[in-house]
Order: sequence, then structure tokens, then C-alpha cells
Amino acid sequence: MAHRKILLVDDSETILMMEQMILQKESYEIVMARNGKEGIAKAAETKPDLILMDVVMPEMNGFEAVKRLRQRKETKSVPIVMVTTEAEMESMEAGYVSGCSDYVEKPIDGLELLTKVKNLLGD
Amino acid sequence: MHQETRANATSVGMEKLPADGGRSRIYLHPGQLFASAERSAVTTILGSCVAVCLWDPISKIGGINHYLLPLWTGEGTASPRFGNVAVQDLLNKLLELGSQKRRLQAKLFGGACVIEAFRERENHLGTKNVQAAEELLEKEDIPLVGHDVGGCRGRKLIFHTDNGTAWVKQL
Repeated sequence: MAHRKILLVDDSETILMMEQMILQKESYEIVMARNGKEGIAKAAETKPDLILMDVVMPEMNGFEAVKRLRQRKETKSVPIVMVTTEAEMESMEAGYVSGCSDYVEKPIDGLELLTKVKNLLGD
Repeated sequence: MHQETRANATSVGMEKLPADGGRSRIYLHPGQLFASAERSAVTTILGSCVAVCLWDPISKIGGINHYLLPLWTGEGTASPRFGNVAVQDLLNKLLELGSQKRRLQAKLFGGACVIEAFRERENHLGTKNVQAAEELLEKEDIPLVGHDVGGCRGRKLIFHTDNGTAWVKQL
């Protein structure tokens, strides 16, 4: 099977590095963006199989980015997992309304993230 | 919002939030559980995750969990992030608080599969989470009196611990 491509969108280098370490155990190809606006551009350019999206970011937050991705033909059906902090959890209702597929909470648990990613990719 | 009281109930959107009736308001995060003898309204947001709600209608003691993965198989730390641990921990907590196991009733929520192409598969994560709860409740001989599971959308759930009333809004 060709390597699945995952787009990580987060303004924290630490979170990006952690996500990358977890996902590389399954040999996923990783692409990264630092905010929602860049995430939308990277998604159009690289056509990922799945997107991990932070919530609070400069330029454009995660909810707005998901909403815009869902309006585009090429990313309308791509699974998007929101990555939230405990403080943001109560706003996850807005995350689902904007079109996310599932969510994980920081600090990220490797097994939980990999299970959800594999599930959404149908692996 | 939809007041869920029957098995196989479908949930529909409704603008008005349920009155909390003076209950303490609790927000339940993934991997946590909550049980109390005090009247509480517990809110949680579910995707592929599952929440098992248990309550004793006589003592009015109730509780809820929110787990992410079906089974802890012995690797790593046992935690309520896994269904088998979450259901057992919730049951133990309710018994500690004074509820009677033979009087407990259960409701089950969540286990969505948001990817349409995978929905017919028997082994997607949401289905596995739901199956784990059903098997555990059957093993413990706790009747499942209501559920709203599966489907393609996330859910907002509000559960009243004292009388087992649950509202579900599909997101």
C-alpha cells in the first residue's frame, strides 16, 4: 500500500514533533503547517489522507480552518481530527459543527492517536 | 436536544437545553468517569468514543464514563480510557457510594463512524467501543434500558445522575 499522507497543523513545534514521532511508527508520510491558513494551503497542495488540526493558532484557528476545508471539493471528505487542550474541550461542540471527524486531547496519548488515525484511514 | 428515554431512540436537534433542576454541572473529559450521590448534570462530547451511564433509581446514585478505546489488554497502564476498565471502575464507584447492583440500569451513547465508506464495516472503532460496553453490561447482568449509538455524527450528551435522564444532540 502506498504511504498514507498526514497533514499536521499546529503552531507548537513541540506538538508537531510529538505527533510526528507517534505517526512515524506506522510509516505515514508527514506534512506540516503552522496555522489554519497555511494548513488549508498545504492541504490543497499535498492532498493528505488525514489532517490533525490544533484549535488555537495565529492567523486562523482550527475551527475556521476545518469549516473552510469542508467547503472545498478536494478536502470535503478528508478525515480531520481536532487536537484540543482540556480548556478547549467544552467548545468541541463547535468543532463537530464545523466538520471535524473526531478529536483527541492533549497531552496526546500515542496509542489513542494511532488507533483513531488507523480507524479513520480504514487501516 | 432530545430527551432519550427509550431503547433505539433516535436523537434530533432541539434548541432548548434541558433544565438542570438545580443539579451540579459537571463536564466530563475523555478518559474520565464521574459518579455521585448528589444530583448532577454531566455533559460530555462523543465521537467514536462511548459513554456508559449507570444509575440506581432507588438510591438515586448514578455515574457516567467516557472511554476512547474498547479494551485494555494488559499492556501499559490500566486506565478509564479503556472500556473494560472504565465500566468496572464506574461500577465499583457506584457500589462504594451505596447503590445496589441488582437495581442498576444502564444507557449507552456514542460510537459514531464519521467516514461514510467505513460505516458498513463491522470493525470500526465506534462499533468496537459499543460492542465492548454491551458485552461488559451483559456480563455484569445490568439491563440496558436506552441507547443512541453508531451513526455518522458526533453527539453532545447530558446525563442526570439521580434519575437516569439523558439528552442527546447530534452535532
